[in-house]
Amino acid sequence: MNRQSIAATMILLATVAFALAPLYRSAVDIPIPLHHVIHAVMMAGAALAGILFAGFLARERRSGAPWLVVSMFAPVFAMLLMWPSEYSYFERHPYGHIVEHLGLIFLGFVAGYGGQRYANGIGWASGIGIVAMAVLGVWGYGVEPTTVTAVAVASSASQALGAPNVTHGSALFAQNCAICHGVGGAGGEGPPLKNERVRKSLAAAERWIENPAPPMPKLYPGTLSAQDVADVASYIETLR
Amino acid sequence: MSSDVVQSRAGVRVMWTYIGTGLAIFSLMLLAGILLRAAQAGWLPVDPGTFYSILSLHGVGMIVAMAISGLGTLWYLVRREMDLDERIAYLAYGFFIAGVITVIVSVVPGRYGSLWTMLYPLPFVGTYWPSWATGTWLIGNALVMLGFMLWCAQILGALLAKYGGVRGMLAIDYVFRNRAFTESGGKPPPPAMFAAAITAFDGFITGTVGLVIGTALLVHWMDPTVAINPLWAKNLTYLFGHSIANLTMYMAVAGVYVGLPLCTKRAYHTSPQLAVAWWATLLFVIIAYFHHLYMDFAQMQWMQFVGEIASYLAAIPVVVVTVYGGVMLVHRSGMRWSLGSMFLYGGMIGWVVGGIGAVLDATIPANVDLHNTLWVPAHFHTYLLEGVLLFTLGWVFVILEQRADAVSSLVMRWLVGLGMFGGGALFVFSFYIAGAAGIPRRYAVEPAPGPFWASVGTVGAIVFLIGFAICVFEGIRLARLGKSEATA
Repeated sequence: MNRQSIAATMILLATVAFALAPLYRSAVDIPIPLHHVIHAVMMAGAALAGILFAGFLARERRSGAPWLVVSMFAPVFAMLLMWPSEYSYFERHPYGHIVEHLGLIFLGFVAGYGGQRYANGIGWASGIGIVAMAVLGVWGYGVEPTTVTAVAVASSASQALGAPNVTHGSALFAQNCAICHGVGGAGGEGPPLKNERVRKSLAAAERWIENPAPPMPKLYPGTLSAQDVADVASYIETLR
Repeated sequence: MSSDVVQSRAGVRVMWTYIGTGLAIFSLMLLAGILLRAAQAGWLPVDPGTFYSILSLHGVGMIVAMAISGLGTLWYLVRREMDLDERIAYLAYGFFIAGVITVIVSVVPGRYGSLWTMLYPLPFVGTYWPSWATGTWLIGNALVMLGFMLWCAQILGALLAKYGGVRGMLAIDYVFRNRAFTESGGKPPPPAMFAAAITAFDGFITGTVGLVIGTALLVHWMDPTVAINPLWAKNLTYLFGHSIANLTMYMAVAGVYVGLPLCTKRAYHTSPQLAVAWWATLLFVIIAYFHHLYMDFAQMQWMQFVGEIASYLAAIPVVVVTVYGGVMLVHRSGMRWSLGSMFLYGGMIGWVVGGIGAVLDATIPANVDLHNTLWVPAHFHTYLLEGVLLFTLGWVFVILEQRADAVSSLVMRWLVGLGMFGGGALFVFSFYIAGAAGIPRRYAVEPAPGPFWASVGTVGAIVFLIGFAICVFEGIRLARLGKSEATA
C-alpha cells in the first residue's frame, strides 16, 4: 500500500459514508437541485478514488478496450439512477435511496477507473463528465422553471383558472378518489395520502392527477376539468 | 496504393466502412431533401404531418451521414500517426448503425415529426404520432451519441498518450516557448491532429451534454410527471445539436490538411497561428450556440453578448488560417485540377460562404430579422453540402486518383462541377433569397414568394443530384481502375 492507494481508500470510504445519509434524513426534505449536487459530490469522490486506484494498480497495463466501453456507459446509467428525487421510486424508501447512492458511487468509480485503465487522462475526462452531468441536472432535471418563465406560466395559469377551492376539492376527492385512497386519504386499496414520507409539491400533484401511471385512472380531461384538478390537488395538500 | 496515403490496412478498412456508410446515408437523405423542397414548391402533394416526419429524418440523417464520413477519415489519419484499436472503431460504428435503424423506425412506421432540435415539451405535447415513436427517437439518438463518445474517448486517449498530455496535444509549448521547443528537437502535431483533437475534446463534452438532455427527456417520457425546465432543455439541446453540426466541418477539414498537400506536392505545416486558431475553436464552438437563443428573453443577457463573440471566434480564426494556408499551397504549385483537388478547393469556398452566412445570423441586429427564416437553412446547407461533403469527396477522390494513378476526363470534371457546384449554388441561393425575403423556416406550407423560391431550389437540388450521381459512377470507375492497377 502506497500513499496513493491509502488516499484512494480513504476517499472511497468517506464517499460511502456520505451515501448512508438517507438513514438520518428523508430525501423529501432536500430540494431536487441540492440533491443533484450531493450526487455530484459522491460521484466526484468515487471517480477520484477510481483514478487513483487505476494509477496504483495498473500503471503498466493500459489500452484495454473493454475498460473504455464500461467507462463510457457508466454516466448514462448514472443519469437514469439520478431520477429526480421527488419522483424517484428508489428514494421513497431510505434503504432504496442508499442502494441508489451506492449505485452512483459504483458508476462514478467505474467511470474514473475504467477510463484511466484505458488511457492516462481518459479517467479524468470520464470522471469530470459524470460529475458534470449531475451538476447540469441542477438547473432543469426534475426542476420547475423558476425565473421569468415561471412568472409567465403562473400569470397565464392564474388568468385561466380561478383560485383553488379546497372544499370543492374535498367533494371531488370523496366522489372520485376515496374509493381507493380511503376517506380523507387514510388509505385503502390505493396508497394512503396522509403522512407520506415523500410528498409531491402542489404542481407535481396536479401533473400526477393529469397524467397518472396505472392502475390510477386518468380522469383528466373528461371527468375532471383543469379547475377540478387544481381543487383536488389543493385538498390533497391539506392531508398532512 | 501510394504509401503516402495508406500505411495501415486496419485504418483503410475502418475508413472505407465509415465513409461508405456515410455517403450511402447521405444519398438517401438527399432524395428526402428534394422531396421536401418539391413539396414546399407545390410540385408534390405531401401532407404536413408526413412533411415534418421526413424533415426530422432528413435533418438528423444528414448530420449523422456527414459525421460518420468525417469520423472515418479522421480515424484513419490518426491511425497513421499512432496505434488505435480497430475493435473500438467497429463498436462505435455498431452504435451508429443501431441508432440510425432506431431513428428510421421512429419516423417511418412511428411518424415522429418534432425534428432533432425539438423544443421541449414539443415531442410530448400535441403530437400526431404515438408516444412510442418519441421514445424510440430518443433512444436512437442516444445510441448514436454513445458511439460518438466511444470514438472521441479512443482518439482523445491516443492523442494524449502520443503527445504527452494536453500541452503537447494542443502544442502549447510550441506556441509560447517556440524557440526552446524547436531547439530541443520538439515537433508540434501535424495540422490534421488539431482537427482530431478538437473533434474528440469538444465531441466528448457535446456527447456528455447530449446524453444529459437525452436521458432527462427519456425519463420524462417514462414518467410524464418529472418536470424539466424548458429553457434548460433548449440550452442543452442546442449546445449538443449546434456543436455537433459544427464539428462535422472540423472533422472533414482534416482531409484538406492531408489531401491538398498530396495534390500540390507541398507540405501543410503546423504554424503557431494555426494552433491558436484551433484553440479558439476548441474554446468557443460549444458556446457559439447562444445565438440560437437571442430571442429567448428569459435567457441571461450576458449569455447573448458572449454568444455573439463566441460565434465569431469559433469560426473566423480557423477558417481564415486554414483557407489562407490552403490557397497559398495551391498558388503557383502547378497543381493538376482533378475531381479530388476541385472538391477540396471548392469545399473551402463553401466553408467561407456558409461561414459568412452563419456570422451574419450570429450578429444580434441581423439575427432578429434572419434567424426564424430560411436564411438559417441557407447557411447550414452551404456549409454542409458545399463544404463538409466536398471535403469528404475531395479526400475520397484524392485517394482513388492516387490508387488508379489517373484523373477524370475534362468532360467528366465539367459535368460534375456544373452539377454539384452549379446545382448546389442554385439550391442554396434559393434559400438565401427566400430567407432575406422573410420566408419562415420549418414550414410545410410557405407564404409567397416561398413556393417560387422552393421551385428554384428544387431545380438546383435535382441538378446537384445528377452531378452527385455522375460523381458516384466516376468514383466507382476509378476504384475499379485502381484495383486492376494493383492486380497488374
